[in-house]
Amino acid sequence: MSDKTLTQPGGIDYRRRQRLARLAQTLVILAGAIVLTIYVLAPVTWLVSSSFQTEAEIVSVPPHWIPDEPTLQNFEAIFSATEEEEITYETRSGQDPASGGFIPSTAKNLLPAMWNSFLVATLVVILNLLVGVPAAYALAKIRFWGRDASVYFILITRVIPDIALVVPFFLVIKNLGMLDTIGSLVLTYLAVTVPFSVFILVQYFEGLPDELDKAARVDGCSRFQALVRVFLPLSLPSLVAVVLFTFLTSWNEFLLALMFTQTEASQTLPIVLAAFTSDFTISFSFINAAGVLAIVPPVIVAVIFERYIVSGLTAGAVKG
Amino acid sequence: MARIRFENVEKKYANGFHAVKDLNLDIQDKEFLVLLGPSGCGKSTTLNMIAGLEEVSDGRLMFDDMLVNYTPPHKRDVAMVFQSYALYPHKTVYDNIAFGLQMRKAPRDEIDRRVRDAAQKLEIAHLLDRRPSQLSGGQRQRVALGRAMVREPSVFLMDEPLSNLDAALRISMRAEIKELHQAMQTTFVYVTHDQAEALTLADRIVVMRDGVVQQVGSPDDIYERPQNTFVASFLGNPPINYIDGTIEVTDSSTARFVRGDLALTLTEATARKLADCNGREVRLGIRAEDVDETAQGGEGSVIRGKVNSVLPVGSDQFLGFDFYGEELFFRVGKDLSHRLGDDVALSVDLNRLHVFDKDSGKTLIW
Ligand SMILES: Nc1ncnc2c1ncn2[C@@H]1O[C@H](COP(=O)(O)OP(=O)(O)OP(=O)(O)O)[C@@H](O)[C@H]1O
Ligand SMILES: [Mg+2]
Repeated sequence: MSDKTLTQPGGIDYRRRQRLARLAQTLVILAGAIVLTIYVLAPVTWLVSSSFQTEAEIVSVPPHWIPDEPTLQNFEAIFSATEEEEITYETRSGQDPASGGFIPSTAKNLLPAMWNSFLVATLVVILNLLVGVPAAYALAKIRFWGRDASVYFILITRVIPDIALVVPFFLVIKNLGMLDTIGSLVLTYLAVTVPFSVFILVQYFEGLPDELDKAARVDGCSRFQALVRVFLPLSLPSLVAVVLFTFLTSWNEFLLALMFTQTEASQTLPIVLAAFTSDFTISFSFINAAGVLAIVPPVIVAVIFERYIVSGLTAGAVKG
Repeated sequence: MARIRFENVEKKYANGFHAVKDLNLDIQDKEFLVLLGPSGCGKSTTLNMIAGLEEVSDGRLMFDDMLVNYTPPHKRDVAMVFQSYALYPHKTVYDNIAFGLQMRKAPRDEIDRRVRDAAQKLEIAHLLDRRPSQLSGGQRQRVALGRAMVREPSVFLMDEPLSNLDAALRISMRAEIKELHQAMQTTFVYVTHDQAEALTLADRIVVMRDGVVQQVGSPDDIYERPQNTFVASFLGNPPINYIDGTIEVTDSSTARFVRGDLALTLTEATARKLADCNGREVRLGIRAEDVDETAQGGEGSVIRGKVNSVLPVGSDQFLGFDFYGEELFFRVGKDLSHRLGDDVALSVDLNRLHVFDKDSGKTLIW
C-alpha cells in the first residue's frame, strides 16, 4: 500500500463506509444468532427451570425464569412413586394441586418406562450397526448385479410415512405374538432406521478410496477384515452419526410405541409422559421434572459421541 | 516362485464393457514384465486380475500349475503398489508397512526386523512414527513400496507407481525399482503408460490397445521390430514418421520404396521379404533418430524437404520437415543450424526402415 491511496480524494470516506458496512453485517449476523439461540434454548430452559419450581410458582404470572425457591420435591416425587399405592378419589382429593403434592396415577411407570426406552434405543443402535455397516460396505465397495437398484429401493422405503406403515406393522407384530413386548418396538424401529443408517454409511464408504479396500485385501484381509481393520476406523464420524440418529429416533418415537405397547412391560418414556397430560388433573411440576429426566440420556449420548465427529481422518491415503 | 499364465482370458465388466480380450500371456518366474499402453487399454484390469481384485470372466489364470481364477486376493501370495499409494491414513508408517505381515500372523520380532530393514533400504527409517498425511509424495511412495517389499511376495505388482512423482524423482526411483527387482528375485508385473519407464525396466514388454495385446517382446524387439503401426507409434520420441508409397521389386533381392521423387533402396534382407509385393501400397516407417544429415548419403537413401520448424531439445534438435504436405519430425544433431524454409537433405539409415501394410498396419518385414 502506498500513501497515495490514503490521500486520494474520497479515499477515507470510502474506507469508513466499508468499515461501517462490515460492522452492520456483523450486527445482523449477531442479532440473527441471538434470536435463533433464544428460539432453540427457551423451551429447554423453561423445562429445566420449572422442574425446580413448585406448582404454584410455575403457574404464576409473569413466569419466573429463575426459581424463587428451588425445590427438589418434583424429582423426589418421581423416585418415590415406585411403590404401589392405591389412588382413589379420596386420596386424590386430599391433595392440593397448587402445592405440588399431586402425582399422576401412572407416575410409578415413569422409571420402568425410562429403562424400557433405554433398552430399546440401545438395542436399536447396536442392531443398526450390525446390519447397517456390512450392508453399506457391500453396497459401496462390491460391484454386484442390482446394486444401484438395491440402494434406491432401500431409500424409497423411507419415502413412505410411518403412519401408512402402522397398520401393516400392527398385523405383523400381532401375528408374531409380540404385542406389548420390547421386541415389537426394536423390530419396527429397525425397519424405520436401518435404511437411513445404510444410506448415511454408503455415502461415507463411497467417499473412501477404492484402492484402500484393494490394498487391504492384497495385504491379506478378507472382505470382512478389510471392513473391520481399515474401513471402520476411518468411518468413525459416520458411525457416530448413525449412533446419534438411531438412538434419538428410538428414544423419541411415539406413534409406533402407542400402537404396540399397553402396559409398563413395554411402554416407553414418550407414552408414559404423554399419559400424564390426560389424567384427571395435570401437574406441570411433575411433568416437567419427568421431562428433564427424559432429556438426560440423549444429552449424555450426544456429549460422549460428539467428539468423534471429526473431519480429515482419511487425509494422506491417496497421493495429495 | 511364481510363473503366471493367462490362457484365453477375457474380462467383461458388470456394465458389459469388454476390457480385456483373449489374453494369452506366459509370465516367467523372476521376470520383470511391463504392461504398456495408452489410458484405458486394460492394463490395470489385467493387473487386478492377477491380484484377484477383479474376477476373470472367462479363460484360465494359472499361478505355476494352480488355477487361481477363484482364489481371493488374500490367499494369493501377491503384493501390490498402487498409483495413488493407498496408504492406511489411520496407521503410522510403521504399521502401514507391518500390516500385511500382521495379517499373516508373522512373529512380532520378525515383523519388526523386516519393517526396519525395509525402512532402512528405502531411507524412511526416520519417518516410522509419522502418519501418511505428514509425508511428501515421494515419501508416501516409498512407504507404499516398503509395504509391498516386507511381504516378500512371490508376485510383485505395481500399477503406475511413479506417475505421481516429479520427473527427477521418477528417474531415480526407476533405478531403485530395478535394484529392488534384482534384490528380491521375484516376478514383477509393472503397469505404465510411460515408454521410457517400460524400456528401462522391462525384461519383456506387453503392448496393449483396447484390451488386445499388440506385441510381446524384449524392449529391443518392441522398439526395433514393432509388429504394427500402433506399437511403432507408441514408442519413440518424437514419434515415428510414416510415408505412404509403393514397393517396386526389381528382382528377388532388390526392391525400392517410391513416393513421388523419393526413392529409397531397401536392404537385401528386406527386399527378400517383399519379393512378391511388387506394386503394393505400403506405409514406410522412419524413426525420428534414424537419419543423419552429416553423412553423405548415396543415391537411394536420401530424403529431401523444407524445414518447417526447429525445436531445440538440449542435446539435439527436432526438425519439422515438410514432405508432400505432411509434417515429418526428425532428430538431428545440434552442429548444423537451420532456418525455416531451408532445403535439407537427410540420409536415411536403410537398415532401420519399417514397412507396414497400408490397410492393416501390420509389419511386412519382421
Ligand atoms: N469397474 C469398471 N466397470 C466398467 N468398466 C470399467 C471398470 N473399470 C475399468 N473399466 C473400463 O475398462 C477399461 C480398461 O480400464 P483399465 O483401468 O484397465 O485401464 P488402464 O489401461 O489401466 O488405463 P490407465 O492408464 O488410465 O490407468 C477402461 O475403458 C475403463 O473405462
Ligand atoms: Mg490404470
